[in-house]
Amino acid sequence: MLKHFPSLALADHAAIDPALQQEIEQFLYREAQLLDEREFDQWLALMSDDVHYYMPTRYNPMKRAAGEEFSAPDQAALFDEDKQNLTIRVKRLHTGLAWAEEPPSRTRHMVSNVQIHPTADGAEFEVDCNFMLYRNRLERDVDLFVGARRDLLRKRADDGGWQIARRYIALDQTTVLASNMSIFF
Amino acid sequence: MTNKINQFRRGNSEAQRISELEALVDTREGRINPRIYQDESLYQLELERVFSRSWLYLAHESQIPDKGDFFNTYMGEDPVLVVRQEDGTVRAFLNQCRHRGMKLCRADSGNAKAFSCSYHGWTYNIGGDLVDVPFEDRAYGEVDRERWSATRVPRVAAYKGLIFGGWDEDVPDLETYLGDMRWYIDIMLDRVEGGTEVIGGMHKWVIPCNWKFAAEQFASDMYHAPFSHSSPVIASLPPDIDPSQAGWPLEGHQFSAPEGHGTGFFIGAPEFLFPLLGEEAASYYVKDSAPEAVARLGELRGQQMNGAHMTIFPTLSFLPGINTLRVWHPRGPAEIEVWAWTIVDRKAPESVKDAYRKAVLRTFSSGGILEQDDGENWTEIQRVLRGHHARRNEFNVGMGLHTGDSGHAGLPGKTDYVYGEMAARGMYQRWLDMMCSDSWAQLNQRTAAAVAKEEQRRA
Repeated sequence: MLKHFPSLALADHAAIDPALQQEIEQFLYREAQLLDEREFDQWLALMSDDVHYYMPTRYNPMKRAAGEEFSAPDQAALFDEDKQNLTIRVKRLHTGLAWAEEPPSRTRHMVSNVQIHPTADGAEFEVDCNFMLYRNRLERDVDLFVGARRDLLRKRADDGGWQIARRYIALDQTTVLASNMSIFF
Repeated sequence: MTNKINQFRRGNSEAQRISELEALVDTREGRINPRIYQDESLYQLELERVFSRSWLYLAHESQIPDKGDFFNTYMGEDPVLVVRQEDGTVRAFLNQCRHRGMKLCRADSGNAKAFSCSYHGWTYNIGGDLVDVPFEDRAYGEVDRERWSATRVPRVAAYKGLIFGGWDEDVPDLETYLGDMRWYIDIMLDRVEGGTEVIGGMHKWVIPCNWKFAAEQFASDMYHAPFSHSSPVIASLPPDIDPSQAGWPLEGHQFSAPEGHGTGFFIGAPEFLFPLLGEEAASYYVKDSAPEAVARLGELRGQQMNGAHMTIFPTLSFLPGINTLRVWHPRGPAEIEVWAWTIVDRKAPESVKDAYRKAVLRTFSSGGILEQDDGENWTEIQRVLRGHHARRNEFNVGMGLHTGDSGHAGLPGKTDYVYGEMAARGMYQRWLDMMCSDSWAQLNQRTAAAVAKEEQRRA
């Protein structure tokens, strides 16, 4: 699925406790809701201090160069953010002068195909999902972003809540078919 | 629509057509008729008279280092393959099979030994020469290889790593075409020994606006920055700094070339690069590489000129220091594809290159916190121009017409104050002269006349 991580589709799937599956899905839905309700500070608080929020660029390679469909880590990415940069993006939205979000977009994040994979660290899980992100702006602008994510979710020791420690986003577009990406995925 | 094409291209006499075009752009008074951004027949004429006549940016040398390396790009709306040849030279040819016009190669880039059409299998070598036709003996007898080879872009030349192509055999050589602008673009291309390279990969996205909004802004418009781009500056400031005290620099100049290119920049004020680029990239530019840049380019270019915006007419733009380089590919009168790269000094430390990679994607890309604001302006202007009355309203490009030349000793060519529109007027004058000319000879005459008129006005 995603170049920087091996596909898990054919991996040996340990049975996931349905309660854990539900807990993580509910977390992802709540997180999506925070974005759609423009509660960006609360959304930002879900990111761990060491978060890596990353979206590579994509290409049309020839079959024999299939490994080049996604940009490498040292190449152009659409997002390659740490907590500080995500914070600047959120602060910018609060200025009232961020013209691509003034007036703000209406977004709807749909999350599906949630698959959970335990890691060696018992408190961390890799979580794959597909997403559809509908954006409607101004009088009649519409963008549709579709892709897959692989998050690293971490259960906090203190209160048992979840944190996002890594978000890797594979957007299914080579040329980005939107005049900007002023939203979060 | 058909009537308009007739009006501009066939129906009227040449003199009538020219007077109609000249009514659209008045650089002496600083007025633009916004039909130039919106009219389909003018756009078709642009493809012929601007894009088929100018040197257009194709690729950076570092994208195609080895034999057979290719990059799939566009000249205007024409798909073009740019390929490194066996002898190290670069060729460019139309990405179109000569048999039925199918695209020869649909990968974005890569390495090829030949290009074989997926429709009927006509095959071309990496120079675009037709080398194989399936069932040729029985089906054709013989196909004339020379006549049916891929359509070569006749002029290909490079300037300090940037490869350009031209369709018009009569286009002046690239250095003449760049003119005095070479002195300015060397700020980005020739700061240190070894030249530049582009970071792997690129950003491509679509903005529903006319290409001239983007080209003009990068040629001439520092004026928008304090208003369009205040939010990223406020958000990036350290918490102990009061945003209301963080003013924009006031000292600087702009330059306008008779060839239509333009740039503007601040004098001094290197500190504003730090919040935009981060410590590592900004320190490299402002401190670490500055002594060598000063030794190569002098004090003015090596250290004092900062925050420059630039356009090479018509559609290549860049920001030296921030190091984004982009082409505005036209897609009809009301849409562009932005193709953007990050350009870095080849010999810069790897960590600096990576800092630049991140700084550019965070500021100037489809998700960049400065770039987002620009698209908003261009898109909305374009949409407003659907209105009958809106597109009858002339635009004001008169800033600086009556304030006199504030040229700076040591800057070549025609210069003015940084917050001005002289370079925009220069760009539109060149555009007009191209649109009114049938040939490079005629264009050179018109440009010389326009320059003389402008000098007279200034005197």
